[in-house]
Amino acid sequence: MEALLFNVDSGFLEGIVRGYKAGLLTQNQYNNLTQCETIEDFRTQLSATDYGNFLANEPLPISTSTISDKATQVLVDQFNYLRSNAVEPLSKFLEYMTYAYMIDNVILIITGTLHGRNTNELLQRCHPLGVFDTMPALCVATNVEELYHTVLVETPLAPYFRDSVTAADLDDLNIEIIRNTLYKAYLEDFDAFCRTLGGPTAEVMHRILSFEADRRAINITINSFGTQLSKEQRAKLFPTIGRLFPEGNNALARADDIDQVRQACEPIAEYRAFFDASGAGGGAGGARPNGTGHGGGSESTANLLGDLGDDLGGGAADLEDRFFVHEVHLNKLAFLQQFQYAVFYSYIKLKEQEIRSLTWIAECIAQNARDRIHDYIPTF
Amino acid sequence: MGDEYPTLFRSEQMSLVQLIVPTEVAHDTIAELGELGNVQFKDLNPNVNPFQRSFVGEIRRIDEMARRVRFFASQIEKEKEPIPIRPLYDSAPLVTVGPRAAQTIDELDVKLAEHEARLTQMNDSYQLLSERLRELVEARHVLRETAQFFEQAAVRETEVRNSLDDSSAPLLQHDDREQQYSTGELQFDLEFVAGTIDRARLSTFERVLWRVLRGNLYMNYIDIQEPFVDPATGAETRKNVFIIFAHGDILLGKIRKVAESMGATIYPIDVNADKRADSMREVTSRLEDLQIVLYNTGANRRAELMTIGENLASWQDVVAKEKLIYETLNLLNYDVRRKTLIAEGWCPTRDIPQIQLALRHATEESGTNVPPILHELQTNRTPPTFHRTNKFTEGFQTIMDAYGVASYQEVNPGLFAVITFPFLFAVMFGDIGHGFIIFIAAAIMILFERKLAKADLGEIFGTFFFGRYIILLMGLFSIYTGFLYNDIFSKSLHLFHSGWSFSEPNGNDTSIVGIPNGHTYPFGIDPAWHGAENALLFTNSYKMKMSIVLGVIHMSFAVCLQVPNHIRFKRFSDIYTNFIPQMIFLQSIFGYLVVCIIYKWTIDWSKASTQPPSLLNMLIGMVLSPGNVDPESQLYPGQSTVQVILLLLAGVCVPWLLITKPYLQYQEMKKIQGQGYIGLGAEDVPRHTDDTTLEGEEEGNGRAIVEANDEEHEEHDFSEVVVHQVIHTIEFCLGCVSHTASYLRLWALSLAHAQLSEVLWDMTLANVLGMSGLVGIIALVIVGVMWLVLTISILCVMEGLSAFLHALRLHWVEANSKHYEAGGYQFVPLSFARVNEKQ
Repeated sequence: MEALLFNVDSGFLEGIVRGYKAGLLTQNQYNNLTQCETIEDFRTQLSATDYGNFLANEPLPISTSTISDKATQVLVDQFNYLRSNAVEPLSKFLEYMTYAYMIDNVILIITGTLHGRNTNELLQRCHPLGVFDTMPALCVATNVEELYHTVLVETPLAPYFRDSVTAADLDDLNIEIIRNTLYKAYLEDFDAFCRTLGGPTAEVMHRILSFEADRRAINITINSFGTQLSKEQRAKLFPTIGRLFPEGNNALARADDIDQVRQACEPIAEYRAFFDASGAGGGAGGARPNGTGHGGGSESTANLLGDLGDDLGGGAADLEDRFFVHEVHLNKLAFLQQFQYAVFYSYIKLKEQEIRSLTWIAECIAQNARDRIHDYIPTF
Repeated sequence: MGDEYPTLFRSEQMSLVQLIVPTEVAHDTIAELGELGNVQFKDLNPNVNPFQRSFVGEIRRIDEMARRVRFFASQIEKEKEPIPIRPLYDSAPLVTVGPRAAQTIDELDVKLAEHEARLTQMNDSYQLLSERLRELVEARHVLRETAQFFEQAAVRETEVRNSLDDSSAPLLQHDDREQQYSTGELQFDLEFVAGTIDRARLSTFERVLWRVLRGNLYMNYIDIQEPFVDPATGAETRKNVFIIFAHGDILLGKIRKVAESMGATIYPIDVNADKRADSMREVTSRLEDLQIVLYNTGANRRAELMTIGENLASWQDVVAKEKLIYETLNLLNYDVRRKTLIAEGWCPTRDIPQIQLALRHATEESGTNVPPILHELQTNRTPPTFHRTNKFTEGFQTIMDAYGVASYQEVNPGLFAVITFPFLFAVMFGDIGHGFIIFIAAAIMILFERKLAKADLGEIFGTFFFGRYIILLMGLFSIYTGFLYNDIFSKSLHLFHSGWSFSEPNGNDTSIVGIPNGHTYPFGIDPAWHGAENALLFTNSYKMKMSIVLGVIHMSFAVCLQVPNHIRFKRFSDIYTNFIPQMIFLQSIFGYLVVCIIYKWTIDWSKASTQPPSLLNMLIGMVLSPGNVDPESQLYPGQSTVQVILLLLAGVCVPWLLITKPYLQYQEMKKIQGQGYIGLGAEDVPRHTDDTTLEGEEEGNGRAIVEANDEEHEEHDFSEVVVHQVIHTIEFCLGCVSHTASYLRLWALSLAHAQLSEVLWDMTLANVLGMSGLVGIIALVIVGVMWLVLTISILCVMEGLSAFLHALRLHWVEANSKHYEAGGYQFVPLSFARVNEKQ
C-alpha cells in the first residue's frame, strides 16, 4: 500500500534525503582526511566533498569548533529544508526527531544554570535543532515544579514531564534522573507514534529505537554503579521498548557490576559482541579530545552521574564506540528499505556521526595526536 | 594535414603534445597558454591527493587572497549608496608574468592584507559605535515612552484622588497629600523594570513572565516606529519598549533575569520625573556627539571602500587567473631532477605554430633564455572533439552537442543543421507575418549584440539571445515558406493572376464554383483557394505529401552522411554492408512513395480515365498483397510488376544488412588468428601504421593497446558484433516506417499554426474591421492591440517554441539516428576567457 501512495506526499523528500545521503563522506575521503598535516589541508580536502566551500570565507586559523559549528549548520539547513517541505505525517515525524535535542538543551541549560554559568553562553552551546521559543526562560527555574510550570508546559515535552517526573529539587542527580525519564518517555512515545504510521516505517524505526533504548538502559546501569541512585529508581529509568525488555531490563536493574550487565545482555547475539571485545580491548579507549561539540549530548549521559573507576571508564568509552558503530550499522540498514520515513531519521543520525568523526579528525590534527586519528567511526 | 582550411564538416585534427617547461618559466608559460586558450592539459598525477601536489602552497595563498577580495566585494555590495567599481577594461593591468611577477603578487598580497585589516578595524569601530548609538536611541525611546506613560497615569491618578478628596478624605493625611501634590510627584508603590525587546519575542516574553509571576504583574508596551538596522548584516529588527510593574525584589530579579535571557535590554529609569528629564537631556546630547563620530567613521570607511573599488575588478581578475594557473601547474609532472615540468595535453594540430609562438613569447617575457620545448606525441588515445565555431554557427553546433558530442573526426551534423534546422522549423511555421516578426526580433538582437552581450540578461532571455542567429534564419525561412503557403497573418497575398475565376452568384444558389482560366499561379498556393469550401482539403493533402517528400529526402541525406565517415575511418566494407542495403531499403519503399506522389501531382485527374488512387492504400497494398493492383485505382501501367520488384529488393536488403557485416568480421578474425596473432600480440599488425586515424580501426579486430596508459580499448567479441548488428538492422527497418510517419508532424504543426492564426483573426480583427465611425476606430485600436499581443505571445512565441521543439526532434531522432555516432568528448581548453565568462 505504501508503495502506491508514499510518493504522493513524500517521494520528493525521500529523493532529497537519499541525495543527501550520497553526499556523506566515503571511506576513501576519510582516508584522505586522515592524511592531512594541517587544518588547512583538511579544509582543502573537504572542499572537494559535498561540504564544498563551507569554510572558504573563514579567516585563518580555523578552530575545530568552527568546523564543527559550520558542519552542524549544514546539517541544520538540510533538516530545516526537509521540515519546511514536509506534510503530515512526515512533518510530525521530523518534529519528533527534534524532541531529543530539546531534551538535551533543557538539561544543558538547567545544569549550566545550576552551576552558575552565563545564560548566553549556554544558549550558544545549545543544539540548533532543539531550540524553542521559551528556552531562555529555563534559567529562572529553581525547582522542578517551577521548571514545568514556567517553561515546559507549553513545549511538546510537557506530557513526558507531567506523566513521569515527580517534584523534587534540582540537583545534579535529579537532573540526570529527569533527563533519563524524559528520554524514556520520549523514546516510548516516538515508538508508539511510529507504530501508528505502520508499515516499514514502524518496522525499521522500531529496530533503531529499540537499540537506542537498550543502549540507554545499559549506559544508565553502568554509570550508576557506585552512586546513590537506588536500584528501584534505576529500574524506573529503563525504556520499555528495547529488545532487552523485560527480562534483560530486570537483570540490569539488579546488576551490581559490569559482569552482571554482560550476563543481562547475553541473550541477544549482537549485544554480546560489545562486551566480548570490550573486555579484551578494555582500556584502549581514553580521554577524547575536548570540544567534540554539541553532537556528544547523548553520550555524555551519565558522566555526571558518578565517578567511575579508571578501568571501567576506559571500557565504557570503548563500549560507547561500539554502540556508535552498531548505531551507524542500523542506520545504514534503514536505507535498504524504501517507502518509509526511517531514512530521514537515519540520515540525520549518520550526518551527526559524520560531523563527530570530522571533528575528531580535526581535533587530532590540531592537537597533533596522529596515533589516535584513526579512531573515528566511518559512516559509508 | 594541419593546413586544411578549418571546417565544420569534421572536428579539428588534434595532437597530443608534450611540453617540457623549465620551472622558472612554468608560470609564465601557463599564463600565456591560458590567454591563448587552445590547450587542454591532462592530469599527469591522478593518484596524488589534491593537497599533496606541488603547488598547493601557492593555491592556498591565492585562496586566501581570493577570500579577501570576496570580502571586499561583499562589503561594497552591502553599502547602501553604491560605490563605483572601476570596470576591468578601464583599470591598469596588473602584470603577473615576467621577472617581476613574484614581487607583484607579494605586493598584492600585502596590499590586500592591509586593506582587510584596515577595513575590519573600521567595521569593528563602526559596529561598536553603532551599537552604542542603538543603545542610546533605545534609551531615549524608553525614556520618552515611560514619561508618557507616567504622565497619563498621573492624570488619571489625580482625577481619582481628586474625586476621593472631595468626598471623604481623611483629614490627617491631608497635609501629606498636599505636599505630594505640590511637588507634582506621584510615588508609585510599585516598582518597575523598563527596557526594549525584539518585537517577535514580545509575546513569548509576556507569556513566560505571566507564568513565572503567576499573573502578578502589570505590563505595558509600545511599538518603536523606526526599525533598527544592524550595521554588519544590514538586517532590520523592530523593537518594543516595555515597562513592567511588579511587587518585591525577588519578582523584579526574576523579571530581569528572564528579560536578559530573552535578549531584552533593560534601562535604569528613575521614578522621579525631573531625573528622567535630566537623563533624557543627557542621552540626547550624547546621542548627538555619537552621531558626529559615527558619521566620520562611516565617511572614512566609505573612502576606504572607494579606493578598494578602484582596483577591485583587476584584483578579482588577477586572483582568478592565478588560481587557474596554479591549478593547471598542479596537473603537470616534475622530471627526475625537479628542474623542469612536463605537461601533456591536447591541442588542435593547426594551432601548434601559434602555441610555439606563445611559448617563445613567454620565454622572452620572463627574461630567461631556456625556452619550453614542445613536441608531438604519437598516441593511440582518442582525441577530444573540437569544432571551431563562430558566433553564427555556435548556436547550431550547440543544438547538436546537446544530443551528443561527435566522435573525433566524425561528420558533424551541426554543419547541415545550419540550413535544415531553420527550414524544417519554417515548414511548420510558414507565415510571412509571423516570420517577419521573429526575423525583426532576431535582427534587433544582432544589431545590439555588443551591448546585450555585456549585460546580464537572465536565464530565459539569455537563451533567446544565445540563439539569435538561429532565430534570424528561422524568421527568414518562415517568410519563404509563408510565400509558399501564401499566408500572411492567415490572409493571402494576391501577387499574380489567379488560376481560377469565379462566376457571379446567380439567384438563390449561394455557392459559386471556380473555373480554371488557363493561368498557372507561378509561386506558392493560388490565393483563390483562400476561403474556398474545400481549401482545407486541398492544403491538407498538399502539406501531407510535402512532409513525406521532405522527410524522405532528409533521411536519405542523413543515410548518405555515413559514407564520408566510412571513408575517413577506412571502414570500406561498411559501405556495402551498411550504407548500400540501407539506401536500397529506404528508396525502394519510401523513395518509391515519393516518386508516386510527384507523379500523381503531374497528372490532370479531371481529364484522366481513372479515378485518382489513394497513395496510402497503394503503399499498404504493395506490402500486404504484392502483385495485385486494382485496375480501378492504378496509377500507371505495369505498376504491379514494379512494386513486386521493389518489394523483393527491400526484402533482400534485410538479410544483407543482418548477415554480411558479422560474416566479414568473422572472416577477418579468422585471418588474423591464422596469421598467428592472438590477443595482446597483435601490437605490430602492419595495418597499424597510420596512428592518427585509429579511431575507426578499433571497431575491427582484437587489436590491443599500444600505449597501455589509461584508456581501455575493449576487445570486440564476435557475439557482440552479431548482437549489435541485429539491433541495428531491426532499428533501421522499423525506424524507416516510424520515422517517415514522424515527418507528418511537419504537416500537423503547419496545419495547427495556420488554423490557429485564422481563428485568432476571425475572433478579433475580422469583427471590427467592418465598423465605421468613432466606435469603429476605438474598437479597431483596442482589438488591434489585443490581436497583436496575442499574435506575438501565442503564435510567435508559444507556437514558435513548439515548432522549434519538433524541428529539434526531427534532427535528433529521425536524422541523427541514421549516421551519428556521437561518442566523443568535448575539448575543454585552459582559457582565461572562459573564467571571465563564468564570473
